[in-house]
Amino acid sequence: MSWSKLHLAALVVGVLALAVAPAFLKTYGLYLLTLWLVYIVAAMGLNLTVGYAGLKSLAHAGFMGIGAYTVAIAMKAGISFWVATPLAVVICFLFGLLIGFPALRVQLHYLGFATLGFNVLLVLFFRNEEWLTGGTFGIQNIKRPELFGWSLNGNAAYFYLVLAVTVIAAAALAFLLRSPWGRAFAALRDNPIRAESTGVNITAYTLMSFAIGAAYAGIAGALFAPLVNFIDPSPFGVGTSLLFLLMVVVGGSGRFYGPVLGSAIALLLPEYLRFAKDWYLAIFGLSVVLMMIYLPGGLLSLKSTLQLAKSKRDAKLKEAAQ
Amino acid sequence: MKKSFTRLAALSAAALVSTATMAQAIKVAQIVELSGGGTTAGTMYRNGVKLALAEINAAGGIMGRQVAISEMDTQSQPAIAKAMTMKAIDEGVTAIFGPVFSGSILVSQADSQKAGIPNFTGGEASNVTAQGNPFIFRSSFNQSMGMPKVANYLANDLKAKSVAVIFINNDFGKGGRDAILKELGARGVKVAADISTDPGQIDFSSAVLRAKQANADALFAYLNEEESARLLRELRKQGYDKPLVGETTLMGAKVIELAGAAANGVRGHVGLTVDAPTASIREFAGKFEKEYKSKSDHNGLKGYFSAYMLKAAIEKAKSTEGKAIAAAMKNSCFTAKQHPGLLLDVCYDDKGDIDRESFLVEVKSGKQEVVATLPMLNKR
Repeated sequence: MSWSKLHLAALVVGVLALAVAPAFLKTYGLYLLTLWLVYIVAAMGLNLTVGYAGLKSLAHAGFMGIGAYTVAIAMKAGISFWVATPLAVVICFLFGLLIGFPALRVQLHYLGFATLGFNVLLVLFFRNEEWLTGGTFGIQNIKRPELFGWSLNGNAAYFYLVLAVTVIAAAALAFLLRSPWGRAFAALRDNPIRAESTGVNITAYTLMSFAIGAAYAGIAGALFAPLVNFIDPSPFGVGTSLLFLLMVVVGGSGRFYGPVLGSAIALLLPEYLRFAKDWYLAIFGLSVVLMMIYLPGGLLSLKSTLQLAKSKRDAKLKEAAQ
Repeated sequence: MKKSFTRLAALSAAALVSTATMAQAIKVAQIVELSGGGTTAGTMYRNGVKLALAEINAAGGIMGRQVAISEMDTQSQPAIAKAMTMKAIDEGVTAIFGPVFSGSILVSQADSQKAGIPNFTGGEASNVTAQGNPFIFRSSFNQSMGMPKVANYLANDLKAKSVAVIFINNDFGKGGRDAILKELGARGVKVAADISTDPGQIDFSSAVLRAKQANADALFAYLNEEESARLLRELRKQGYDKPLVGETTLMGAKVIELAGAAANGVRGHVGLTVDAPTASIREFAGKFEKEYKSKSDHNGLKGYFSAYMLKAAIEKAKSTEGKAIAAAMKNSCFTAKQHPGLLLDVCYDDKGDIDRESFLVEVKSGKQEVVATLPMLNKR
């Protein structure tokens, strides 16, 4: 069986396993699994911006907040979830374009700080514009949607909605990355000057990578609000933006399945470490540090790191034998 | 063959015994802030519950059944508090203690309500009991009950014509600020400055400067524990000399510990204090300090009270079924004489709000001193 067939088979098995999971999980497990999928969608967007296009963004939680608040406010005003979600995605896309402009001028940590400032501004907006966002009291009782008269209020039903959206979003991203756009993003990351000299429109692709990344955060936010039934400014702060960056980097920045693994580690690892009581967050932090020292390319670089180490060893042995 | 048979019999007997004791234990969960911004409050509450349950178990449990407890950290985040509540429900708990932060309990109570599990909280924001949830029970005053007492104190005792208000901009602080502004307005007291500060804020110099420039007759401050301590230190540093008035947190034991001498002279209203002139509370304070090597604040008292409240309710209902426990507390009063662990007489209304005696205190040389004991709001 060729590699791509194996890949496809693994993918199908993975999605099928997720599809039957609700039958084996209780409320809590299912909630975590749903939250994981939501984080995957958000982290996929950030992976496009950071991993593929190489632009340091620290405003991702803010974009997710825009998506969540848009859906929550629209649904409270009586607008359907199915109208509110595309609206949220479009608004996030536009904000992504807007925040992309500084990226044309500044790069690396300077860009990181610029986006971080934007995230802080958003949180201040969520907190202080009480007439619109409910301020620190947040927005309560956000209903889950219906589809063709079929209620998605149940935990399993809502999980399937999130799973479907995740699969579609992932497929769209895979398609995008295989198109010339994906090549252009990588060129932008690896050597912007050479990219420009070969005819890649840097301005357009920089803006697009931010806008599309933000739109993915918007989708995640739109799914997050009805999942938790409540939003307030706290989950959309800079801390969460850093967590998203951690997901991308730990999983494997610029690798398609990086966000899947990264968000699993960021979300599920602390949960599985809870047996360690007071120490669980410390152990989590330490394991991330160790991972970054020994696997700077992320978990998905394990195979290539091992291969590299093996070929080095082989080369040494050969040298010694000669 | 025979040997393996006896081993099998012994094993199955052991299994039977262990399932029997497991079936007997009453399972409860603590869902509290053990990391993040709410660590101070959450840990105190957790320790209070733990102390009470250890005593209850040592004295033979509730209706002859031991209480088994599981602890879960919310990281001070509402979404995780919600997840932990679901986890506790999956484990089939009889009751849930916590979270303490109002923002978290607002989210998590929807799930305990759906499952019909009584949920005790340390949250004080007004909207916690305004959701029409029959399973939520406070362990301390609703802000909207504490603030009238503070406003009375400012207007009648201190004769303040104008007040500067400093609050923390989260659901707790904003709710309190809205409540005190309303009460001050009703008493004709002017609000000279309305100063917002951030959760986790370190530097309070500009907030204090604005309060000084407002030149009001008194200052009312309403922030969480750590922020309160930092504010007090800055107020002293800048030599603020007008009366400092608070509600519960500003005079909390943890705040006094963190602020040191800067807390001296602070006064106000507290729902619960370990320095209350009540023998049962003094006794609790001693036990807590011996067990945890630190003085309990009001959150420790809240936790201790919550656990004994559950015991009293189960004994009254003669059932561990959620609906029966909740019904036993609604519109009911419990006396400290009959249930010493409750420390003070308490009454619940139909919403889960609590009523009991409260105290006017002043901090003198690093200790809370009770100036006056205020009666229950609604005499029954």
